[in-house]
Amino acid sequence: MNEILKIENVSFVYGKGTPFEKVALDNVSVSFKKGRITGLIGHTGSGKSTLVNLLNGLYKPEEGRVYLDGEDIWEKPKEIAKIRYRVGLVMQYPEYQLFDETVRADIGFAPRNLGLSPEEVEERVIEAARFAGVSPDLLDKSPFELSGGQKRRVAIAGIIAMRPDVLVLDEPAAGLDPRGRREILGGLREYVNTLGTSVILVSHSMEDMAHYCDDVVVMNNAKVYKTGTVEEIFSEAESLTAVGLDVPVVSRVAIALKNRGINLEGTLYTTEGLRDAILSYLKGGKK
Amino acid sequence: MNDYIIKCENLGFTYSENIEGETSAAEEIPALKNITLGIKRGEYLAVLGHNGSGKSTLAKLLNMILTPTVGKIYIDGVDITAEDFTEDDVFAIRRKIGMVFQNPDNQLVATVVEEDVAFGPENLGLPREEIRRRVNSSLALVGMQNYMRHAPHKLSGGQKQRVAIAGIIAMKPEVIIFDESTAMLDPLGRREVIEIMERLNREEGITVINITHYMEEAARADRVVVINDGELALDGTPKKVFSKVARLHSMGLEAPQGNELVLLLRDAGCRIDGDSLTEEECVETLYNFISKEKTI
Repeated sequence: MNEILKIENVSFVYGKGTPFEKVALDNVSVSFKKGRITGLIGHTGSGKSTLVNLLNGLYKPEEGRVYLDGEDIWEKPKEIAKIRYRVGLVMQYPEYQLFDETVRADIGFAPRNLGLSPEEVEERVIEAARFAGVSPDLLDKSPFELSGGQKRRVAIAGIIAMRPDVLVLDEPAAGLDPRGRREILGGLREYVNTLGTSVILVSHSMEDMAHYCDDVVVMNNAKVYKTGTVEEIFSEAESLTAVGLDVPVVSRVAIALKNRGINLEGTLYTTEGLRDAILSYLKGGKK
Repeated sequence: MNDYIIKCENLGFTYSENIEGETSAAEEIPALKNITLGIKRGEYLAVLGHNGSGKSTLAKLLNMILTPTVGKIYIDGVDITAEDFTEDDVFAIRRKIGMVFQNPDNQLVATVVEEDVAFGPENLGLPREEIRRRVNSSLALVGMQNYMRHAPHKLSGGQKQRVAIAGIIAMKPEVIIFDESTAMLDPLGRREVIEIMERLNREEGITVINITHYMEEAARADRVVVINDGELALDGTPKKVFSKVARLHSMGLEAPQGNELVLLLRDAGCRIDGDSLTEEECVETLYNFISKEKTI
């Protein structure tokens, strides 16, 4: 099975039957591929967060179905808690959710609740800390001694330690400096490749999409506006600006150069990609 | 003297209390050290620095949320660190220096937009007509006049920040500090807030201090100040500051994407001349470079 999560004809309405009724998702169908990092973008209020909350069963769809690895997650409503271990959700500003005495205990909370042996819990803590970029010397500290960026990585490790099939990150790098962003997002590729998991990354940063994602889902006004690979999505700047989004600065530069007759080819949405495209364009012309 | 709206002299601040309320030497690491900085009336200044570098501490000192451990701060020529500074004087300073924070949901207090904007002027005890005038003109300045009777919680992130800004403008401040005010916004919301920031600076003559992690935003300011580990590390025009790419990287920062791209090309042996700070400059510089190389 190529799709790890699939949403079929899902609608969701807040405050149904009240004067404040708001359609958050309108007959949405979309799927997320296994082993891929999929970006989820859209303006504020486009339905991203609602979608994310439906993926792990925090919300129940009014209409339509959510499939995890081919199974309807609401088939047995009483067992929905199990789904939340399989679709691990890291909410916004997760650093405020840390509570245990040590970083080690905090990361190990979910594995302990799964009833694993102390050895297995420890193994998972070490593994999760590594993927989330939490250095081993922090494990015996109190979470409250850490910096904001470190705390956030601990919170992410706490979810990774559940070994979910899908890791969903809602704006994990908001408010962090460039180095902090890299420390959080830079380990995702290795995590996905090593454990064969899948990641869904919600972000307002087009640069993050360009650097860390394979595919992108674009939401607009309660509907899926576009889906495709990062390259497909960022090759059309106009269609993204039309819905209040943007393409990375580098893509805009590449598009402007193309419009002036310089036919660049390749990965045109990261600085490294555009450098290579320019270098090979120059080489090609001289021969 | 009146040239500088804000002047800091050898400013330092140390957070000294730990959780138990006791101080220990190990924890007394200064958040800011030896900052000497003059900000001119009407300047458009960007402040950069990694998380924990001390830039928010600086903002809190300027607005008197915190009191300096050492050094002096002069606001509009007045020494706000003077011992005889009274509570009333503090309020006078806060009226001059408004602040817009990161999370729009934490700064709106009323259930209707116009009431939220009126909150400040009402507390100043202004006459009714004056409050009305200020609310109307402030909302018009941020382009939210059509949302006067709306509920703040139903607005988008960018709109909420614009209402928060209107609430500050209604106090008629001379300086507005934006403390990562665009960090939680989508691209459109970010653009909206930046446009307003710049309009307030250009058209209303308000001194703008934008504390940000977005290098592209900082590149638009008149001047960029970089704080690193509590110290003033770089200070100059965006062109000058962002030309020090290696230094920025060592401080956990970056240059705008255009500069980064040109640097990568230079590292690969390309001899590129020209600026690449803004998107337009970058396109122009690369176009010229590629055309030249192709004709050789």
